[in-house]
Amino acid sequence: MNIKVIKQEQKTITQSRLLSTLLNYKPVLWLLPFAVFFYLFQIAPMVWVFINSFIYEETWSIENYQEIFDSAFILQSFHNSLWVSFWSSFVGLILAALLVSSLRHLNSRIKEAMIAFTNMSSNFAGVPLAFAFIIILGTNGAVTLLLKQWGWIDDFNLYSSWGLLTLYIYFQIPLGALLLYPAFDALKKDAYEAAALLGASPFQYWVKIGFPILSPALLGTFIILFANAIGAYASVYALTSGNYNMVTIRIASLVSGDLFLEPNLAAAISVLLMLLLAFITAINQWLIARSYHGK
Amino acid sequence: MSYVTINKLSKRFGDVTVFEDIEFTIEQGEFVTLLGPSGCGKSTLLRTLAGLDNANKGEIWVDGVDITHTQPQHREIGMVFQSYALFPNMTVEDNVAFGLKMKGISKKQAQGDIQKMLDLVELNGKEKFYPHELSGGQRQRVALARALIVKPRILLLDEPLSALDAKIRKNLRQQILDIQKELNLTTIFVTHDQEEAMLMSDRIFLMNQGEIIQQGKPEDIYTKPENEFVAGFMGHYNLIEAETAKQWFDIAATSKVAIRPESIYIKEAGRQYADHISTPKLATVVTHQLLGNVIRYSLQVENELLTVDLLNRSSERLMPEGSTIELLFNLNEIQPVGV
Amino acid sequence: MENNQQLLHKSIVYGISSLLLIPILATFIYSLSSSWGATILPDGFSLKWYGELLTDPRFIDAFGRSLFICIASLALATLLVLPMIFVIFYYYPKLDKVMNILILLPFAVPPVVSSVGLLQLYADSTFQLIGTPWILIGTYFTIALPFMYRAIANSFTAINLKDLIDAAHLLGASTSKAFLLIILPNLKKGLLASLFLSFSFLLGEFVFANILVGTRYETLQIYLYNMRQTSGHFTSALVMTYFAFIFLCTWLASRLTRGNNL
Repeated sequence: MNIKVIKQEQKTITQSRLLSTLLNYKPVLWLLPFAVFFYLFQIAPMVWVFINSFIYEETWSIENYQEIFDSAFILQSFHNSLWVSFWSSFVGLILAALLVSSLRHLNSRIKEAMIAFTNMSSNFAGVPLAFAFIIILGTNGAVTLLLKQWGWIDDFNLYSSWGLLTLYIYFQIPLGALLLYPAFDALKKDAYEAAALLGASPFQYWVKIGFPILSPALLGTFIILFANAIGAYASVYALTSGNYNMVTIRIASLVSGDLFLEPNLAAAISVLLMLLLAFITAINQWLIARSYHGK
Repeated sequence: MSYVTINKLSKRFGDVTVFEDIEFTIEQGEFVTLLGPSGCGKSTLLRTLAGLDNANKGEIWVDGVDITHTQPQHREIGMVFQSYALFPNMTVEDNVAFGLKMKGISKKQAQGDIQKMLDLVELNGKEKFYPHELSGGQRQRVALARALIVKPRILLLDEPLSALDAKIRKNLRQQILDIQKELNLTTIFVTHDQEEAMLMSDRIFLMNQGEIIQQGKPEDIYTKPENEFVAGFMGHYNLIEAETAKQWFDIAATSKVAIRPESIYIKEAGRQYADHISTPKLATVVTHQLLGNVIRYSLQVENELLTVDLLNRSSERLMPEGSTIELLFNLNEIQPVGV
Repeated sequence: MENNQQLLHKSIVYGISSLLLIPILATFIYSLSSSWGATILPDGFSLKWYGELLTDPRFIDAFGRSLFICIASLALATLLVLPMIFVIFYYYPKLDKVMNILILLPFAVPPVVSSVGLLQLYADSTFQLIGTPWILIGTYFTIALPFMYRAIANSFTAINLKDLIDAAHLLGASTSKAFLLIILPNLKKGLLASLFLSFSFLLGEFVFANILVGTRYETLQIYLYNMRQTSGHFTSALVMTYFAFIFLCTWLASRLTRGNNL
């Protein structure tokens, strides 16, 4: 074959190889717009918060963090947030687990209706929920009056930690249920029957089989509920007009509002909040790994 | 000149070489099967021919033109996938019309062709159905119609029948074969099922670990395996050591020999046997399996365990374990196999 | 024995769901009552609060504003996410794992915390962001992201992406044509379901709205909060209207996912 023709062919082959390599990078371009927006609105603020928590009056310092530990007020906010988040997640989880567990024994129509209902009620949170609670459990709320009439409670203060806890439990239950539905599906009826044939009582089944199978899901759901509660802002803000001392309220008041704005202090509190979350997630993951982990 | 010529074709993924320096030719209208165990590279070879994977080295020539670097859109090659790859959002009609739509022919203009194609695959009446409303066999026929309607030069089929149950597989096999013969379409078929390959092909390319181990007509590959792998893959060949073969059959054997289960007979009293039948050897029945119309015996002869197949003509042929019988070998069917 | 068990389970389920139902019901009754003093039951019933609400121009404006930013941010999210997911699943499948971690960020970082950074970063920018709907559209995109990514990614794994594109290639289609004609139609259901779900979530968003824009751009939730001093009946009607709207969206979303038996 002609040398010239071969050389020409080789040239075109190299050219087309180069072009195809270039074109191979074209798909990456479709990732850029997303990356830009994600960076601007999610990553950049995160980074700012982290860096500026270490800046006090234009210099690198841990003064912000020291201020937090010196302030009984801020520490109280952490205490309140942790208390409400922990208990609302715990009680919410138990109630959700009871709900899901009993639901499995009922017919599919009720099941479907319940799933749809929990789906919907999980959207009932924030400002509307706070107002609904004021209506029923406020000082002149219908339920408050009813309970007083029946002598169940003397004085229920919705705007106290107990009132807040009730509110938080309310929105944790549907979320917990939604997360637990698939987990409980892993409990097959035949495992229960096999255990029964081998002599296990229902209690033994739950202790030895049911609960171990569920524990990763229960722990995982707990941490999600906890994170949900501790980051919540709208419900408590709407209920107490921002007057109840919670971590999220503290952070927000330091960056917007009427008093002195201290964004770097807010940043430091935010970092501590996220560290707290990370710590609890780590413990949670450790507990999950220790528990039964099969398929 | 052959219709399809493959020249030193090589493909690797990263560090792993799938196949290297593959060479073969295919004539127009031939039905060729790439046969081999999982992972031998047959599917990758098929995909490289289609242009879905790019060869690292080598050439693919079709009808005198080098298509090695042509885009799959322009190769005029049709393919039927193992997973059917039907477009779930389109009806049968739209799926079949898709290739023509890409050529600029509207569905309206193509109505005649679509009807003819659906006739061919026996799916009239199903035009408005969606893939999820069809059975596996029906879906595969839509995939076939879709590939054929654009009049490809070559049809590739990547294990199209693996996901179907036995009866449908049989029917579809015959249907594909009939259509192929009618259209005189050059076809390359990939399968791991040796029986299927034998039933459908003009020629079989047996592959293992990226190499074409043996190629030829089905009867040739079946009766004359060139090495142990082929013997082991096609049917249930018995492999006998060279020394033992020399002893038993008085032949000059330099390597192992292979003999098919149906070429070994059980001596029946009072029958005359031709010259090419060996002298009897004593054998003990180890097990037998009733496969329906065939009884498969596992027999111990000296230190060799042999498989012997007999047609299940009568119940007296079902011999119990431990019984001794005399075996006769068809010396014409003893095949030396290299390594 | 069986029946006793059934009874137990039924009472648990109905009991807990009634607890969940009480606030909703109470608000509903409150919105329908003409007045309700310190008594257990309302004094009378009337639809006037709904009338007042639906003719209040401030409400209409707030609702309109909320609709605008929610729809705009969802449109933005769709435009950004669809091509991205296709590129990931077709060209860089290993990135799916990375994305799964990235989409946890909007959950791991509470909106309050993001607001701290957002306020400082964009307060003095050359084109006004804080106090305008534009910053809300950007942040709402990050909120909707996890829902949309997961729903669309699930749709992608349900179809045999590689084979479909290969088949389309062999039939003469380019990759982009294949994406538009084949892949996109198959994502419709998953996409729509996640859009409705995200929409109902975004409509209830308060944190970013309150901290980043406040009353300068009064969304539905801000309006609701600002109305807290007015009649409880009025706010109840407002809450019920909002809730009815959310109910519609979630119901539509579940109808779309239920039909996904492909």
